[in-house]
Amino acid sequence: MCNRLLFVLALLLLVGCSDQQWRTTDISEIMPALDFDLVNEDGVEVDETLYEDKATLLYFGYTHCPDICPITLAKMASAIRQLDTDAREHIQVLFISVDPRRDTIDVLRQYTDAFGPEFVGLTGSNADIDAVANRYRVTYGYGDEDASGNYNVTHTSAVFAFDQQGQAAFMIREGDTLKSIVADLNRLISL
Amino acid sequence: MLKVVANAALRLFILTLCAGSVHAAEVEVTDAKLSLLPGDLPSAGYFNLTNTSDAPLVLVGAESASFHMTELHVSTNEDDVAQMHAVEEIEVAPGESFIFAPMGYHLMFMHRTQVLEEGDSVEVVLHFKDQQELQVPFNVVAPGAH
Repeated sequence: MCNRLLFVLALLLLVGCSDQQWRTTDISEIMPALDFDLVNEDGVEVDETLYEDKATLLYFGYTHCPDICPITLAKMASAIRQLDTDAREHIQVLFISVDPRRDTIDVLRQYTDAFGPEFVGLTGSNADIDAVANRYRVTYGYGDEDASGNYNVTHTSAVFAFDQQGQAAFMIREGDTLKSIVADLNRLISL
Repeated sequence: MLKVVANAALRLFILTLCAGSVHAAEVEVTDAKLSLLPGDLPSAGYFNLTNTSDAPLVLVGAESASFHMTELHVSTNEDDVAQMHAVEEIEVAPGESFIFAPMGYHLMFMHRTQVLEEGDSVEVVLHFKDQQELQVPFNVVAPGAH
């Protein structure tokens, strides 16, 4: 009886040691690898190969979003600042605009600079943006314009994380704590 | 700790509102912040609003000389889809507080009239029902700053 209990305890310990679950949401089995053809904030046509060799956080949003987008990106910046200096060199945040009409190259560059050197803005034609959005099951849509031409954009708010080989790893959602994000980022970089 | 208390005191505004009102209402605003984005991108205003009177308090709008437009907005994030829309008014019951905070209710400041930097203070006028108003300084901060 005692031996059997020890065996179960040992098994539990082993399972615990080999636990590969992310603290955030695992998307490794359901999301494809990093893949896009867009224009970066320097106006250069780029694809994912330019951003290889670093772990990537991918977020779809728009710069005229005053609340959810900047708060989400600021949370990613806070998490990155909690990593070791060396680890920070191995991570980047790609912000794909779903509002290319207003998010010009200059606006994008100014916007991402506000969050840190790890942040890069990407835009493109609606067709190219749609191709990436569809790939990650991201949705977006435009609201009605007011008299001054302002409009809101509805969009998927999750942040998708890819390892340094471009493979999908986990998804960060609003309820995820900074502690969980930092832990997952550290593990992502160590893969 | 002392600094925290001092900051809280600085951010505390208790004014008696009486203009155009039969019953004078009291309102308390604390922790007013303006989350600044670069260039002419819209900014968000966050604050705590407490109705210290014995009558309902109804916030119907806001304005600031630093922006051409200021609206009451709410963000929602259900099923990982972010949405935002304008709100006509917000009623705060007597003795209750209403929190304007990230990922929820906020003021949306659009098209600035002057250059702003973190550390600046922006005067914002909150408009309440019955022509009552309250001027509140908002501290300009970076997004996500506490």
